[in-house]
Amino acid sequence: MEVNRDKLRKDLAKIVGKEHVFTDRPTSVVYAKDTMPWDVEEKNIPYAVVRPGNAQEISKLLKYANEKLIPVHTHGSGTSLVGLARPKTNCIVLDTARMKDIRVYPERGYFVAGPGVHLAQLRKELANHNAMLPVFPGSELVATIGGAIAVNTSAHGVDAALGKPGDFILGFELVLPTGEIIATGTESTRRPAGIDPTKFFIGSEGLLGVLTLIRMRIIPLPSFQHIVASYRSTEDILDTVMEMYRQRIFPPLFFEYLDENAAKIGYEAVGLDEPEGAVAMMRIHSWSKVGCEDRAREFIEFLKGGSPIEARIVADLEEWNKIWSSRAEAGNYMYRLGMTFGSEISPRVDKLRDAFQDAKSFILNLDSYKGNEFISFGHIGAPTIHAYAFVRTKDIPNEVKKAITLEMREKSEDLNIKYGGCGGEWGLTAQRVSFLKKKYEKEVYEALVKLKKALDPNDILNRGNLQGWI
Amino acid sequence: MDIDREEVIDTLVKEVGKCRACRFCIDVCPAYQATEGIESMAPYGRIQIIKYLLNGMLAEDDPIVYSLYSCLQCGRCDRLCQAKGQNLEVSNLIRLGKYLLSKGLVKGSKDEKG
Repeated sequence: MEVNRDKLRKDLAKIVGKEHVFTDRPTSVVYAKDTMPWDVEEKNIPYAVVRPGNAQEISKLLKYANEKLIPVHTHGSGTSLVGLARPKTNCIVLDTARMKDIRVYPERGYFVAGPGVHLAQLRKELANHNAMLPVFPGSELVATIGGAIAVNTSAHGVDAALGKPGDFILGFELVLPTGEIIATGTESTRRPAGIDPTKFFIGSEGLLGVLTLIRMRIIPLPSFQHIVASYRSTEDILDTVMEMYRQRIFPPLFFEYLDENAAKIGYEAVGLDEPEGAVAMMRIHSWSKVGCEDRAREFIEFLKGGSPIEARIVADLEEWNKIWSSRAEAGNYMYRLGMTFGSEISPRVDKLRDAFQDAKSFILNLDSYKGNEFISFGHIGAPTIHAYAFVRTKDIPNEVKKAITLEMREKSEDLNIKYGGCGGEWGLTAQRVSFLKKKYEKEVYEALVKLKKALDPNDILNRGNLQGWI
Repeated sequence: MDIDREEVIDTLVKEVGKCRACRFCIDVCPAYQATEGIESMAPYGRIQIIKYLLNGMLAEDDPIVYSLYSCLQCGRCDRLCQAKGQNLEVSNLIRLGKYLLSKGLVKGSKDEKG
């Protein structure tokens, strides 16, 4: 498709103002790159990056894009791990970075936020109102609320303890792919029953519209207690999680683990003594301090039934922050030492141990690479296993990186299918469309395509993500 | 500063290739904040620009100069990168990137030397 960039720049400047339009190549390349471990190609590089300030400008932009048939790719902070953030075709990148309003209304029981607000900033603002943000990705320093709700990611949060972020959404202002501005949901703290279009947009991965205002119920800030436990093997942690569900113990808000290798790397990176075996760490929450202390003590008693080497409450917040960093930054610490190729495996909880063994087996016997190590960590209480092929060098050709990524994807998809899971934080398009097609009847994928076409007849928004990437 | 061209390029190729593109460094950058969040005016963006300048996907132009020279060398990104696990000397890499530009060491640039 031939696009006259000068004309495009002038047209876009009329919509958002010339200071918010970029057609220079360096800026376009910067917005094309994401965390996928290979370089951008010409086909990914946007024609322009625009930074609208409100729904009205986005509406005009999308009407213009439909008229000119130019795809638009929505950009929050580009932290997706499955390629959602990388444009799949030459396009206009719509950066939400200027849409950063936060308004907290305690008397109404909700807050509203623009899609470009970074989660850490939102968490800080809500804490000033004694409220908690129910979204916990490792990338929260820069990840946006728009992206988090568009993917409906749980990340560290255990679904069974709190629910998903989308469970707290009361409504949206959003722009449909064809440019109409609509409002959904309610301003009451009671969510609508029945057909509520809000639900169609939660987790729709930017395929069905651009969120311009997110209204979310305020959750009072609970009390927290923190627990760390070490185990002789990762399998003991898996058994503990399975037992937790079997005994119907109320799960902690966070229940994370580092396997034996990840624990060594993580603890060393934060300056803690090397742990013996694998490590589990938990955050317990309750609405009263006394209730929280009781829950933590009871949970320690439950953990002791699984014969940990040690299980203790960490009362010192500084110590907890260090321990938590070893887990929260585990992926980065590993990446420092080489290349990592990850997976998201969320099996039926009674199959956790089987899924883990299968993951370990395929990762240690990859066809696309020989000599890698197996490392795992994750939100095991959810349960999510992040099983990684770890290669202690960054000197790998692009083609080999792609081949490892593809093999990891395909084989972890097979495990999610074999053990009844689906993933719960990375989203289901871009890289994972092949999974959608394998996991469900073909009518499911076809229905999604029809839904997309009904709302976006020219396939303007995030083109390529629903088609599947690589 | 008198640094050998090959040495600078070798260091940059090796080091900028380590950037995971996590973007955790962007929010602490004063230039990123002052521009209301333009990623090419953030440490992440500058590192990517140097990377693609070195592999030939980008050629030296004014926006690259603006991007690299918008770095104040405050070092906040270094601390963040260290805290978040990658441990790149981000501001030093940007300084070396500026050096490439100022000395006309970028291949194909109109001022190319050596």
